[in-house]
Amino acid sequence: MAIEQKYVELINADIDGEISSAAKTELQAFLDSNDEGRALHTELAALCGTLAEVPAEEPPVHLRHVIMNSLPPVRKEKESPSFFRSLLMLPALRYVGTFAAGVFFTISIVNSSQLTNQAFDDVTGLVGTIAQPINSSLASAITVSELAIAGTVSLRSAGSLLILDFDLASGNPIEIEADYEDNSVWFNGFAQLESTGTTISADTGRVLLGMEGKRRYALYLHNQGNHQTTIKLRFMADGEVVHEASLAYKPSK
Amino acid sequence: MSKTTDTELIERCRSGDRKAFETLLLEYEKPVFNAAYRMLNNRDDARDVTQTVFLKVFENFEQFDPSRRFFSWIYRITLNESINWLGKANKLEPLTFEAADEGKGPEQRVESARTAESIQVALMTIKADYRTVVILKHFLGCSYVEISQILEIPEKKVKSRLYTARQQLKDALTGTL
Repeated sequence: MAIEQKYVELINADIDGEISSAAKTELQAFLDSNDEGRALHTELAALCGTLAEVPAEEPPVHLRHVIMNSLPPVRKEKESPSFFRSLLMLPALRYVGTFAAGVFFTISIVNSSQLTNQAFDDVTGLVGTIAQPINSSLASAITVSELAIAGTVSLRSAGSLLILDFDLASGNPIEIEADYEDNSVWFNGFAQLESTGTTISADTGRVLLGMEGKRRYALYLHNQGNHQTTIKLRFMADGEVVHEASLAYKPSK
Repeated sequence: MSKTTDTELIERCRSGDRKAFETLLLEYEKPVFNAAYRMLNNRDDARDVTQTVFLKVFENFEQFDPSRRFFSWIYRITLNESINWLGKANKLEPLTFEAADEGKGPEQRVESARTAESIQVALMTIKADYRTVVILKHFLGCSYVEISQILEIPEKKVKSRLYTARQQLKDALTGTL
């Protein structure tokens, strides 16, 4: 004899733990007097127990990175450029400005014989030789030797300035993520030997670089308080992480 | 994750905070991937659907209704994307147990994995509508009310689908476990 639909529902609700005490009492009375009902309860409870034992599937290791790297850039309100910026948008003035900034930058370092602890406002757009700042010291360095990308990345410090020096070569487009979760570290500028070929986008706690071919460039970070920090690097080709490394900075006592 | 925390994270995501998005990704990557895997029975497809889901979430935060729970929104997107995927691959119809079991290598049939594998194969033998309620109930731990909100169907329908799905699963698994 088929079990009344009402009791089938109560059996399922009981197994799911979604039954009121009054309904539970009613179900119990039914089960005490109905073998078929008891059998169904036992079978369904066993099925649900088996389902509960199925282990969760682990997502692919790099899926998170792939997703984060496939996100489109965040749309932001376009600000109207200031008069000074408008002037700099003219190609001739921009090159003059860049050259002047480079000269000023070099003279400042040479004249002072040391770098100040003040962060540079913005050195994005500087093009030319990547000089090793006077009094800078090598904190750590890594060698990358993968099919997709090879070369070295070193981390130098000069006062509150951290300089990531990339000297890399890749056959295909590569994305490099420099992650610094430390809130007192922030992006301060970028310079490269070649005038084109490297893309950069900075966000809170992270800088994303895109490159292809042989490239030499430097990333400037301001390390407020000159304290110990670690920069995690991820190298990605076609959305897959091909190499991961960390560069640590520890201030000398 | 609590509703408050999710809501705060979503607010930050709306203002372009990628860190907040990464936190949501950390929290929901595994359940989303698992839901997709249980729907599709294929890790590569589940990976692609998971990626699509998070991209859609990222691009459509403005459409999220803050009065609702975030998980119900993301799970709904996941299940819809999975069903779309099945539709494109002409795999919406339930499979026979033998067909669903095809292509599984011997390494997947070792004793320790046999039960999980049999369950997965049995899941593929029931209709996608029924599969969704089983996944939400048993793999994502949702209540009747939550399933009703996610699928936007009455609670009564959730219960009846779940009872039917269990009966079909039980039948499909007879003699295999």
